[in-house]
Amino acid sequence: MDHDHTHTHAHGAGAEMHSQELVEHEVAPNAKSLTTFAVLAVLALLALFIGFSNLGEWKVVANLLVATVQACILAFFFMDLRQADKLTWLIALSSVFWTFLMFLFILTDQLTRHLGVL
Amino acid sequence: MAANLKGPVAHHFNNLNQQLTTVRMGMWMFLVTEVLFFGGAFCAYTAYRVWFSSDFEAGSAALNVGIASVNTFLLLTSSLTITLGIRAAYAGNPKKLRNYLLATIILGVAFLGLKGREYQLDYQEGLIPNVSVLTPEAQKVVNERIAKDPGKADEKVYPFNENLAVVLHHEKFKGEPFVAYDPFRVQLFFMFYYSMTGLHVLHMIIGLGLLTWQYILACRGFFDYNARYVYIEAMSLYWHFVDMAWMFLLPLLYLAGPHSASQALEQFKVAIGLAGGTH
Repeated sequence: MDHDHTHTHAHGAGAEMHSQELVEHEVAPNAKSLTTFAVLAVLALLALFIGFSNLGEWKVVANLLVATVQACILAFFFMDLRQADKLTWLIALSSVFWTFLMFLFILTDQLTRHLGVL
Repeated sequence: MAANLKGPVAHHFNNLNQQLTTVRMGMWMFLVTEVLFFGGAFCAYTAYRVWFSSDFEAGSAALNVGIASVNTFLLLTSSLTITLGIRAAYAGNPKKLRNYLLATIILGVAFLGLKGREYQLDYQEGLIPNVSVLTPEAQKVVNERIAKDPGKADEKVYPFNENLAVVLHHEKFKGEPFVAYDPFRVQLFFMFYYSMTGLHVLHMIIGLGLLTWQYILACRGFFDYNARYVYIEAMSLYWHFVDMAWMFLLPLLYLAGPHSASQALEQFKVAIGLAGGTH
């Protein structure tokens, strides 16, 4: 790579800002990522175990609960929400809120229709 | 990704901090639209699943849960490798970054390969809604029925329904045979299955394209400025989202019906050619 003046200057400024950002942004050690992965893998095994069991109508409830826990762990640790700023949290939670509204208004209509017409 | 190759700060940003914040927030906002995009499909699925729960369970029983189980762990591992890739980028280790990106790409391709094999097996079993061809086994069942009662020769035959009945009664691979289901409603389940997994596959293909681009950039030294790790970070957010979507597709589509671990193992053996299939 070339090392002209602009390049070096930008790199120097970048490195300074970068170290500033790293002070605020803790870099999780690989061991922590491996632990997160292990927890997610165990939860995936649990989901399969539930899927292969005979829980009847509770199966989907239990499995969705496991999936929700998995999604939270993934977002919190792998997607680094754990150290995100408030605005990022607001954006992430807004997706849950808008999805909730979509489910609420569509399902209140769909699931209260007279089933005899189906 | 449009940053110039001569420095870590793109021309349209005042400083690196502004750039990092903007890139991260932009990706998070994009993911909100993605959640709503998948949310619409999940919402429609929920409405019909509540109405036709036993039919959807019958449809799920006909799916290849062996491939889905293995794919779950492939995708989960790819989430780990891309996370380790970011750590390598933070630490300013381009070689490790390249290796982790490559590992993520390989795992993603393996997922798609198995998914393709799954679609192929579904096609061979005649599990395509509105399909017009009877599988040899289904043809045999129809022939036997007509031989027993010649009066049924004039009845209309729906190939998907006959093919589905064969699959659901193939106890060795598919568990307990299903009795109480409406095959036309199972077709609806399969429409959801193909469209929701198809959407997921589309996201995987786009993600793999972007990962390959980042790998090429990494090989060209683009990430030698480790401040550019934010682009890997943004890509990883997208990749984790794709993994997250799968976490919900697995229980809703594949695990909804009755399955067993031994059946999943058998199905996976069939998929990779270690055992004979239903055909």
